[in-house]
Amino acid sequence: MRFHVVKRDNWPLWKRAVAYLIAVVAALLIGAVILLAIGVNPIDYYYQLFTMGTVGNRFAYKTFMNYIKEFLPLALTSVALSLAFKMKFWNIGGEGQFIMGSISATYIALTLGQTLPMWLTLIVMCVVAMLVAGLYGLLAGFLKVKFGTNETLMTLMLNYIALYLLYFIGETKASWNIFLQESSMRPVFVNFSKFVSFPSIKMGGKFELNICVILTAIIGVLIYIYLKRTKHGYEISVIGDSVGTAKYAGMKTNKIVLRTAFISAALIGLAASFKVGSAGVLSTAITDDVGWTGVIVAWLAQLNTGMIFVVSALICVLQFGSTVAATTYAQVDSSFANMLQGIILFLVLAADFFIRFRIVRVKKGE
Amino acid sequence: MKKLIAIFLSALMLLSLVSCGASDSNEATGDNAKDLKVGAIYINSKNDTAGYTYAHHNGITTAMKELGLDVNTQLFIVDEVPEDPEQVRAAVDTLVGKNVDIIFGISFGYIDALETAAAEYPEVIFSHATGYKSNETNFNNYFGRAYQARYLSGIAAGLKSLQTGNNNVGYVAAYGTEYAETASGINGFALGVQAVNPNAKVYVKKLGNWADEVNESAFATELISSFGCGIIAQHCDSAQPQIAAENAGMFGCGYNSDMSPDAPKAHLTAAIWNWNVYYRTAMEAAMNCGSADNFVATMGTPAYYGGLKENFVDISPISENCAPNTQKAIDAVRELIVNGEWDVFSGVKLSITADGVVTKADADLLDNAGNVIVAAGGASVEDGVITGTMNYYVAGVQEA
Repeated sequence: MRFHVVKRDNWPLWKRAVAYLIAVVAALLIGAVILLAIGVNPIDYYYQLFTMGTVGNRFAYKTFMNYIKEFLPLALTSVALSLAFKMKFWNIGGEGQFIMGSISATYIALTLGQTLPMWLTLIVMCVVAMLVAGLYGLLAGFLKVKFGTNETLMTLMLNYIALYLLYFIGETKASWNIFLQESSMRPVFVNFSKFVSFPSIKMGGKFELNICVILTAIIGVLIYIYLKRTKHGYEISVIGDSVGTAKYAGMKTNKIVLRTAFISAALIGLAASFKVGSAGVLSTAITDDVGWTGVIVAWLAQLNTGMIFVVSALICVLQFGSTVAATTYAQVDSSFANMLQGIILFLVLAADFFIRFRIVRVKKGE
Repeated sequence: MKKLIAIFLSALMLLSLVSCGASDSNEATGDNAKDLKVGAIYINSKNDTAGYTYAHHNGITTAMKELGLDVNTQLFIVDEVPEDPEQVRAAVDTLVGKNVDIIFGISFGYIDALETAAAEYPEVIFSHATGYKSNETNFNNYFGRAYQARYLSGIAAGLKSLQTGNNNVGYVAAYGTEYAETASGINGFALGVQAVNPNAKVYVKKLGNWADEVNESAFATELISSFGCGIIAQHCDSAQPQIAAENAGMFGCGYNSDMSPDAPKAHLTAAIWNWNVYYRTAMEAAMNCGSADNFVATMGTPAYYGGLKENFVDISPISENCAPNTQKAIDAVRELIVNGEWDVFSGVKLSITADGVVTKADADLLDNAGNVIVAAGGASVEDGVITGTMNYYVAGVQEA
C-alpha cells in the first residue's frame, strides 16, 4: 500500500477555520490529559486560565491592565516580523532588535528625560530606538545581500550579542554606566518613570488605557495598508514568491530586501520603546520573549495582519492565564503555557498541511 | 444495583464526615490566624529539585506544615518571574487578587517592584530575601549570616589541608568582591581555613553568573590542575565543583545543601541555609500582628538577619572524609558564636590545633592588600558591611 500527497483545491474559509479550530481543541485536550496525569482537574484549570482569574477578583482591572502590557509588544513585534516573513526573509532576530531598541530608548530617557519636555523625549526615544534596532536588523540584510549569508543564522546570532550586551550593562557597576542606580551596592536599573512615561487615558473607574494601545492599533492598520495597497507591499510579496520573477519584472531586489529588513527591525525597536516608555525601567528580561513568541504568532496567523492581533491576544490569554492558574496548583508551573503553545503550533501547522494537501492511497497497478 | 447505591451513599456519608471534621477543627481553633494566605514569587520553577528556588520553596512549605497551614489551599505561587519590575508587579497583582496576606519575593532584583507594591497595597505584607529596602509598616527584608557557617566549613577544610599537607584551597564563586554576599562567604571560609592552617592560600575563580554548571565543573578542575588545590569550596548553585573534586581524588566543601550524595568520597561539609527558620518567624508574625501595618513592629526589625544562633544557617553533618577532631573543633567554635562571645570579622583571631583545641588571641584583621580592616582586639565589623559594602578579600585570598 502506498500513499501520495496531492495538492488540494482551495478550501473555503469556513472549512479552514474549522480545521484550525479542531487543531486548537485537540491541543487543549492533549493538555488536559497531561493535567489529569499530574492530578489536576483540567476543567478547573482551563476555567482559571481562560478567565485569567478575573472572576470574583476585586483587582480584575489590574489583570486586564497587565494583560494589555503583555499583549502590546507581542502584537507589534509579530506584525513587524510578518513583514520580513512575507518576503521569506527569516528574521529570527526579534529578541536582539527589541533589546537594542530598549537599550537605546532607555539611554535617551536617562540622558534627555530631565531636560526636554516629556512629549519630545518620547518621540526622540521612539525615533532613536527605531533607528538603532533597524540598523541592527539591516546588518543581517546587508550581509545577506552582499555575501549571500544565511539571515536565519545571522539574526539568531545577533540576538545573543544583544542579550549579552544587556547583561553586561545590567551587571557592571561603573562610572560610565548610567543605566544602573548609583546608590545601590548591587546592580539595579534606574527607574525613570517619574519623568518619562507614555501618558494613560482614564477610562472610567480605575481602568487606564495607555496611549501606546491606540498607537499600536494605528500602526497595525498602516502596516495592513502598506502590505495590501502599496507598491512596496506588492514588491515584498513578489520577492516572497520568487526572487527570479521579481528580478525579471525589473525590481531592485537587493534594495527591497534591505528596506524591508530595516522596516521590520525598526518596528520592533518601536515596540521596545513603547515597552520601556511605559515600564519606565530597563531590565535584563525586558523582551519577555516576544522575539521568539512573535515568530509563533506570525505563523499561527498565517502572516495576516488582522489575524496577528487576534492570535497575539489569544496567546497572551494563554500565557497570562496559565500563570494565574498555576498559582493555585502546586504541580503545574508557568512553563505549562509554553508547552501548550508548542502543541498548538505543532497541530495548527499539521492542520495547515492537511488544508493544502490531501493524502491519496495509490491503487495497485498504477 | 442496590450494592452500587449502597456504596455511593456510604461514600457520600464519608465525604460529609470529612467535611464536618474540617469545619469542626476550624471552629475549634476559633481564630482566623490559621487562615493566613501565603504568596510567593520565585525566580525559577517551584518544581525544581535543587538550587536556590528549591531551597526557598522547601523553607516555605516546611514552615507552613510546622504551623499547621495547608500548603495546597493556603499557598499561592507565581514562579519563573525574571527580575523585571513589570513582570514582578504583574505577579504581585495576581497574588493580591488571590487575597494573600503576605508575599515573599526571593530574588534580589525584585527590590524596586516590591517597594512600590508595598506602598500601593498597605493591607498586604511584603518580605524580600537578600534585599536592603524596607518601610516601617508592611515591608521588610531578610538574609542570613552565611559567613558564620562558611567559617565552620573552613575549619573542616583547614584540618583536611593539614592532614593532606596541601596548603592550596580552591573556591569556585559566582562573583567575588562585586557582591558582599559572595565576598563575605569567601572571607568567612578563608578565615576558618587559616585558623587551622595559617599557611593556607585560597584561590578564587569567578563564574560571573549565579548558576553555570559547565563552568562550575571546568573551573574546579582548573583550580585542581593549574593551582594544585586539594580542596574545592563553592558559592554556586550545583554540585558540579564537588563532583569535579571527587573525580580528581580531591576534597570539597559544598553550599546550599548537603552534597555528600553527589560526591561521597570528596565532600567534607556544606554551608547550608534553613530558610524555614525565617519563614516560620515571618508567618507567625503575620498571624499575630493583627494588621499588615504592624508587621515590621512585630518582627522587631525591618531587616531580619539570622545566623548560627537562630539556626538560620548551619553546616551539613560532618562526613567521614573529614580529618579527626573536625567535629570537636567546629562544636567549640559554634559555641563561641552562638553564645555571642566571638564573631568572624573581628579583631580577635582563633587558632585551632590539629587536636581540635581552640584558643583566642587579639590580631589585626587584614585585607589582601595589607590594609587593616579591624585593629587587634576590635569588635566585629557592622552588619551593614557584611550585607552591603564588603568589597575586599581578607589576607591569604587571591583570584585565580
